[in-house]
Amino acid sequence: MDSATLYVVAAAVLFGIGVDGLIVSRHLMRKLFALNIMSSAIFILLIATAAPIDDLPDPVPQALVLTGIVVAVSATAFGLALIVRLCQETGKTTLSVDDEPENDD
Amino acid sequence: MLGLMLDAVVIISLVGLALQSLYAPSLFRSILHFVVFGLAMSLAWARLNTPDLALAEAAIGAGVTGALVLVAFRRLIAIQPDQDKPSTESRSRLALPIALGAGLLVAILGLATVNIETLPAAAGVAVLNNLSSTGLENPITAVLLSFRGIDTLLEITVLLAALLSAQAVTRPDALEKSIVTQNPDTPLIGGLLAIIIPLTVLVSIHLLKAGSESSGGAFQAGALLAAGGVILALTGRLSPSQQPSLRLNLGLLLGLLTFIVMGLLPLLNGQPLLALPEPWAIYLLESTMMISIALILLLLFTGSISLRHRRG
Repeated sequence: MDSATLYVVAAAVLFGIGVDGLIVSRHLMRKLFALNIMSSAIFILLIATAAPIDDLPDPVPQALVLTGIVVAVSATAFGLALIVRLCQETGKTTLSVDDEPENDD
Repeated sequence: MLGLMLDAVVIISLVGLALQSLYAPSLFRSILHFVVFGLAMSLAWARLNTPDLALAEAAIGAGVTGALVLVAFRRLIAIQPDQDKPSTESRSRLALPIALGAGLLVAILGLATVNIETLPAAAGVAVLNNLSSTGLENPITAVLLSFRGIDTLLEITVLLAALLSAQAVTRPDALEKSIVTQNPDTPLIGGLLAIIIPLTVLVSIHLLKAGSESSGGAFQAGALLAAGGVILALTGRLSPSQQPSLRLNLGLLLGLLTFIVMGLLPLLNGQPLLALPEPWAIYLLESTMMISIALILLLLFTGSISLRHRRG
């Protein structure tokens, strides 16, 4: 097993964790973390599967991922602003679809 | 063998930190683990032999995201103090199968494509063969600015759009007093700033300049410069303001406008759009983009329309 394969497996595990977290977490900030972890997993996948050219990593996927990191931060910043506003308006940090009728016992 | 073991350590910590940042009992612990996850990602990039990404992840992924998340947490606590209570999560029975399926999909995609031969016509080969025509030595900067300039143009537009959207949904009355440290006039803070701020500026200019031959570039440099600005905001030297300022708005647009103008100029000589002619054009572009990126990230942090300098 070489290290590229190892990182592909890591990407798969991280993506799975991210999807699970996105579904299970109720706090929106955690959902945002889950999305970020999923995108990190895909970034790792893009770099780990890129075939090296003359033993150097391919520059094109690197530029792609660099752009991706910046876009992920932009989306995260906007998401956080939305969460803060939602909390101001409703006092809650969860979505109503996640608020199952709970019996607090 | 040692390398594989290092990889394994990085991967195990990535997985552990990801789990903790999603399932830690308290939100604050989640946040801390998420910030450290960004740092571990940067280690993973270093292990994958991509130092440019390691720098970007450390500055943007871990640094700026961490600051943004923490200040958002601060604002949430100001509205609703019990953010930190353990979440009562009701596990959907479908979550696990869906997550397993998604992970499996990524694994199949990845394992099918890993370790295949480089195609002779791959874009990366073309980049490396034509690198000398750009006057740059770092192939990643060459892809970002020369070969795929349109992507970078759109990238800075996305950043600006995110800022405008965030400003549109932020209610001005929520803008606080709360991000400033309690005693901004402690003498030690002045001394700290006198060391940290010049150092930040120096390192970001180095990163910007280094971008043409080795690792670095406008985004890493801009993120670092923004971090310096965040320190100034935290120590009260810069305070959020709701008065629109022309100078600041020009600064925000500087990178995008320079990019558009430089991109249109080649049309006059009958060259294609965005064909950046000389290294000086790339330096000019990168410097203006660094300033705009730093200001955009700083304003995303303070959440305000503009900034006011406070004599401290």
